[in-house]
Amino acid sequence: MSKLDPKEIQKRMDRISEMFTDMVSHAETVSQTRCPYRDRHDHCTAEFRCRNQQRPDTDEAPIVCGHNGEFDYSSAWESNPLHHARAKKKISKIRDDAAKRRSASQRKKTD
Amino acid sequence: MAELSDIANEFIREEIEEYLERPEEIERNIELFARIRPAMQEIAAALIEGENDVVDRLTQQALADGTEALEIMDDGLIAGMGIVGIKFREAMIFVPEVLACARAMKAGMHYIEPILSDAGVEPIAKVLMGTVKGDLHDIGKNLCIMMLRGSGFEVVDLGVDTSDDDFIDAIEEHQPSILGMSALLTTTMPNMGKAIEAFIDADVRDDVMVMVGGAPVTQEFADDMGADGYGKDALACVELAKRLAGVQN
Repeated sequence: MSKLDPKEIQKRMDRISEMFTDMVSHAETVSQTRCPYRDRHDHCTAEFRCRNQQRPDTDEAPIVCGHNGEFDYSSAWESNPLHHARAKKKISKIRDDAAKRRSASQRKKTD
Repeated sequence: MAELSDIANEFIREEIEEYLERPEEIERNIELFARIRPAMQEIAAALIEGENDVVDRLTQQALADGTEALEIMDDGLIAGMGIVGIKFREAMIFVPEVLACARAMKAGMHYIEPILSDAGVEPIAKVLMGTVKGDLHDIGKNLCIMMLRGSGFEVVDLGVDTSDDDFIDAIEEHQPSILGMSALLTTTMPNMGKAIEAFIDADVRDDVMVMVGGAPVTQEFADDMGADGYGKDALACVELAKRLAGVQN
């Protein structure tokens, strides 16, 4: 097998990157109105529960997405400002608790 | 000028006939696939179908038969992904199918990468990616992984619902330079901060640069958690990873 030219490889890598960039940009747009977990057969591929999931009668049949596509489903994903504030408080508490725990264990070591 | 019938692979012929609508794209793809060897057309067809085990087997076989890595990349993987891109743009397939095709491409690249490495093309950096404990949303993370791999990063995917201990074990095992965490829910987002604190306790925090992302995450949250960076989407994730890896654009 002949030795590969790194410049030729880089050209291919750039092409792949360009293709994926286009696809990801398009995915962002599509995901405004169509759930990204909904496949081409309108089956839900999510591993979590969603209110739009329509469970079939039999276990073998796939779960169908029941979203009608007429509204921006992602508004349901947007965070409530109150939840944001709660999360912020929780993060700050996690950091404070960890700092206290570390300084207590440091004190123990020096004692 | 080549004709559709000059393409040996029936599946590829059907894909072009059924899904391509723009005359210039039809012509370009007929020209392209008509000159591609049947073995490479098979790889492209399997990639379009998202069959990663078939791409895996055919790529391995092609290399064993003496096919050049660049031919497999050009005529199998990239040519197939070109059709996938068109189908996605035309709303004939959606994100789950695109991700399956990206996984199939990864299966083929698995055998190509060591050859590229021998030629002096190394991954930019190794990145660990996982969705935090309690969170099962993975599309955003998977799009980031697809982009990172496509941009030349080596990625270890830890999946969803990743515990602090799993992250720490993976840091020790894979020794990445970057770790990416995502969360889609405000309720699970604080777990990223918890994980960072666990990294400090386990004495591995200084071993990795931590980037965070996901719908509810903002730069402010990232700063509050003590992360090294925040990416709002998959494109920003790649730019951030390049910055953290010290790559100049």
